[in-house]
Amino acid sequence: MPRTLDVELTVNGAPRRLEVHVHHTLLDVLRDQLGLTGTKECCVVGECGACTVIVDDLPVNSCLMLAVEADGHEVRSVEGLARAGELTPLQQAFLDKGAAQCGFCIPGQLMAAQALLEQSPDPTVADVHEALAGNLCRCSGYEQITEAVLAAAEEMRR
Amino acid sequence: MSMRSVGASPRRVGGHGRVTGQQQYVADIHLPDELHVALVTVDCARARIISVDRSAAERVPGVRLVMTADDLPQPVPRFGPQFRDRPVLAVGETKFHGEPVAAVAAETKDAADEAARLVLVEHEELPPVYTIAGALDPAAPLVQDPALRAGDALAESNVLAEHRYEWGDIEAATSDLVVENIYAFPMVTHFAIEPHAFIAAPGEEGLTIWSSIQHPYWLQRIIAGLVGLPLARVRVIAPDPGGAFGGKQHAKFEPLMAFMALRAGRPVRLVLSLEETFQAARRNSAEIRVRTGLRSDGSITFREIHADYLLGPYADISDRVVGKGSYPGNGPYRVPASRIVARAILSHTTPSTAFRGFGAPQVNWAVESNLDEGAKALGLDGLQIRLRNLARRGEKFLPYDTPADGDWQQTVRRAAELVGWDTELPAGHGRGIALGIKLGPTTGLSHATVRFLADGSVLVFAGTSDMGQGSRTIFAQIASEEMGVPLDRITVVSGDTHVVPYDQQTSAARSSVLMGNAIIEACRSLHGQLRDMAAQAYGLDPQEVRVERGVAHLPDGEVPLVEVLQAGLGTLGGELIGNGMARKEAEPDHPLGGTAAFYELNCTAIEATVDDETGEVVLVRHAIVSDVGRALNPLQVRMQDEGAAIMGLGHTLMEHLIYDESGRIRNLGAIDYRIPTAKDLPLEVLSDVVENADGPGPYGAKGMSEGALLCVAPAVAAAVQQATGVVIRDLPLTPQRIWEALDERRRSPSPEVVS
Amino acid sequence: MRSFDYQRPATLTDAVALLERHGPEAQILAGGTDLIIGLRDRTIQPSVVADLKQVPELRPAIDEQDGWLSISAGTTMTQISAHPAIRRHFMALVEGADVVGSVQIRNRATLAGNICNASPAADTAPPLLVFGARVLVEGPAGERRIPIDEFFVRSRETTLLRGELVKSIELPVPREPVGAAYLRLTRRRGTDLASITLCCGVEPSGSTRLAYGSVGPKPVLFTDKSGVLADPATAEDAKLAILEEMLSAASPSPRSVRASPQYRRAMLRVLARRGLRAAVERLRGAA
Repeated sequence: MPRTLDVELTVNGAPRRLEVHVHHTLLDVLRDQLGLTGTKECCVVGECGACTVIVDDLPVNSCLMLAVEADGHEVRSVEGLARAGELTPLQQAFLDKGAAQCGFCIPGQLMAAQALLEQSPDPTVADVHEALAGNLCRCSGYEQITEAVLAAAEEMRR
Repeated sequence: MSMRSVGASPRRVGGHGRVTGQQQYVADIHLPDELHVALVTVDCARARIISVDRSAAERVPGVRLVMTADDLPQPVPRFGPQFRDRPVLAVGETKFHGEPVAAVAAETKDAADEAARLVLVEHEELPPVYTIAGALDPAAPLVQDPALRAGDALAESNVLAEHRYEWGDIEAATSDLVVENIYAFPMVTHFAIEPHAFIAAPGEEGLTIWSSIQHPYWLQRIIAGLVGLPLARVRVIAPDPGGAFGGKQHAKFEPLMAFMALRAGRPVRLVLSLEETFQAARRNSAEIRVRTGLRSDGSITFREIHADYLLGPYADISDRVVGKGSYPGNGPYRVPASRIVARAILSHTTPSTAFRGFGAPQVNWAVESNLDEGAKALGLDGLQIRLRNLARRGEKFLPYDTPADGDWQQTVRRAAELVGWDTELPAGHGRGIALGIKLGPTTGLSHATVRFLADGSVLVFAGTSDMGQGSRTIFAQIASEEMGVPLDRITVVSGDTHVVPYDQQTSAARSSVLMGNAIIEACRSLHGQLRDMAAQAYGLDPQEVRVERGVAHLPDGEVPLVEVLQAGLGTLGGELIGNGMARKEAEPDHPLGGTAAFYELNCTAIEATVDDETGEVVLVRHAIVSDVGRALNPLQVRMQDEGAAIMGLGHTLMEHLIYDESGRIRNLGAIDYRIPTAKDLPLEVLSDVVENADGPGPYGAKGMSEGALLCVAPAVAAAVQQATGVVIRDLPLTPQRIWEALDERRRSPSPEVVS
Repeated sequence: MRSFDYQRPATLTDAVALLERHGPEAQILAGGTDLIIGLRDRTIQPSVVADLKQVPELRPAIDEQDGWLSISAGTTMTQISAHPAIRRHFMALVEGADVVGSVQIRNRATLAGNICNASPAADTAPPLLVFGARVLVEGPAGERRIPIDEFFVRSRETTLLRGELVKSIELPVPREPVGAAYLRLTRRRGTDLASITLCCGVEPSGSTRLAYGSVGPKPVLFTDKSGVLADPATAEDAKLAILEEMLSAASPSPRSVRASPQYRRAMLRVLARRGLRAAVERLRGAA
């Protein structure tokens, strides 16, 4: 029988209590239990980064973390970026620079980039490439994504 | 003439949803009462199915349906866009690794997965055919039952079809040099980040299918035919695909979902894993023999191309890929005599289908590389030999087809300039340049409806799938331009066959041209109605009113169309409806059934350096220039071109599916199938466009988005050749492959070694 | 993924008791970046998953004591890479930790997990071998220390006994500067599993340690005390002969999809030469 456990975590600033299956990943729970489908599922082996969320200020692959491991932790997903419909500078830059093509990888790219900018407000191109090396974009909009992250960094430093 | 919207780069329609996570892809949609489906497969490509025991699976709590081929109508229905060759579930024998033998529907995904493992398929593994040579061996097993191809002279072989195009007199051509070699292009997979996803729901009004499909109307037709429902009772909802690249053009598991939904009487959903997606679609690999005759000045005297493409067991759209990809195989050059023979060969590998470039990248790799070998032997450089042979505007370079529709020399010169072709090259560096053309659509049909609403806002109904190319943005720009309405008052509706009028397909870079023209026609229909409205409202003769580009010109001044509308509609309100259609008729006598609506021409120039100890390549500069006629949205053009170029680096440098003797993909999944990441980019990507407003689309646009992928491999290989001296004729140019060529040269006395 | 019994022991004693009770039926969850992949593809099907992140002694910590730098089992690659003492003394380990997957992976993956997974291609293994690390183990019989070159057996197999878990990895802080460099070969510049891993360390005495992996069942270490390799005056040929000898343990698999045995052997030589050169240069720079 599938076993379950009660967990308490903070998701996008709101405390949540829920019962999760112990073998379900954080990705499963975000998407299927909490309905936060902005976080995407693709490779589920930690290679594509589509499922990237921020846990306690660090970007992680939510496909490689059991939901029970998030117990007591703070999780941020793409839905937590914009506040009251107001886009963050990073989201705005992704729009302005044409970083989003099909868009499927974008939530993961945004979360990885957000974590980068919180840690290093003035990244180099190499820093951006390193921070996003675990986020595949098959539309291959890497040039535009990089430009967007650098533009957002500049905007946020103002 | 105002150009307020077109030619600018407004924010992408749908962009907000894409950066907030609100954009709904198929996997994000849930229906009440839905069941989750898992596929049952066997662990090899080809197996004789002896029996299927579902009893253990049915005992798993939550399982509602275990579907086998026996549960389908008999004979098991088959489908396909070209041939009806693919069964809904495997019948008697599996033909590729991952082909479902059965499927389970359960209340939870966990239960479905568990039960799928408990369906016992007793089977006998049979030797598969997984290479071109293997398939052509007279002793090879037949991949398809000849009965499926009754009346086909090739039915008793694994050759599905042979395409021949021929002109001029090859034997009479006099050449100073003849260069002949064989080039190989690997099997690669689309790897859209969104794995394919399908939902089917039965209902009072027929069947509704949600699919991450590129061609919803084609799917609607396939499903209606399979389940015996009228088109009006099959509704396909196609949310924006999360990347498609050709891999999502045609039906995959939607037919299975349809039958399961009907049998279960409940909605069923199937979201493929990435591994299952790898097993669902790939590009056709190819081996291509090229023989080119050249005069000492570099002019081409003749060319023979023998292209063998390796398909999966079912044709999907691949026979068309072979025909349409090989026909313009000589590229944008004048070639007075040519013979092109292209074969579509069946095998027990992943079903192959369309993939960005549609068969052209394979031949272009071979032909452009062959041209470089000729140039080198003649002491010419890559730029010289290309300019020598490049067709001039209006030249009928491809017999039976559209004359050269651009100033292509301009494109080539610009690419050469961007890469610094004439500048001194650092030691250990090399440069390469390549050209490619891809035919636009040869036939097509797009309908559009534009509704001009009472408050002057606009609804555009256009059935193009917006899978990353930004088609809705382009359509909004066109409507804005024509109706004089700002973009934030325009909504483009797509992705629902019950709501949006027919569009044949989203492929061949057609949408800006065909759907764009349909929208213009719909707007012009509105213009006509507005002219009459203006005449009536202002007491004029319709002849005295001229409507264009958002404005009604009256004898005594201009009135915005919105004002005309409101004056005309009066207190009752309402709306005006304009319909438009763009058709490209079939031409039965043409080898492809129709001439190209336009050519997508690209020139790519590369500067690269190679680590001669490890074989690792670094691209120093990657310059791409496309002739787009007119960039309706320059930012989107750049995104598409640079994206295609970087995607092309995949099959050029690292991507290839590797099969084992059982026909299984050995590098199945994201760990061992490598695609470019942010750290694999060229040090510098330089892109530009040529705009002469000479295309058949809106405001002179041509289609674009595939061109920049066509030339990556030959341009990189030429640069590697110049940097190292070795010629490599197999893709991808992995470090190992380059090292092997370098190592062979170190061991051999001859100055140049070929791998 | 098949369900399992998820346990979160609160003390080291409980953790050891749990592991001893279930033996091979139990799997330790640390960072999870290897384990969860195995659970999902069912190559690993434990009945118990023991999440050790609540055990106080295993929480992320890097301490220096009595000439040893101790990295607790819960310490992630990101934490290792950021630590000043590790950067000062063991830069080659930082180089290894920095290429374990992507940032997202490195934020979860632990050093202890990397060595316990025992992949022949583990990026941290060659530096640990070169730096002479030892593994502090807690088990039913109490604590013991295993030298790192006696730790690996083959992929997913170590010399840990039933009920034992890794408490920390200890590195001897060198009294004199050591020049060391970590190199790897991959199929693309972006994140990748290595086809070759190699670390070379040169001591001021000239003693040279060379560790490499991904060319056999486990990463291996060789030491040359002759001083010849580090001596700039020695002829290249003499060095190559010694290197050849050190590399002779390589037996790359012909079944790998990542690289052919021939290529791997050749690249091992290239990386060994480059690693030696870099290590010697670093030693010189440090002096």
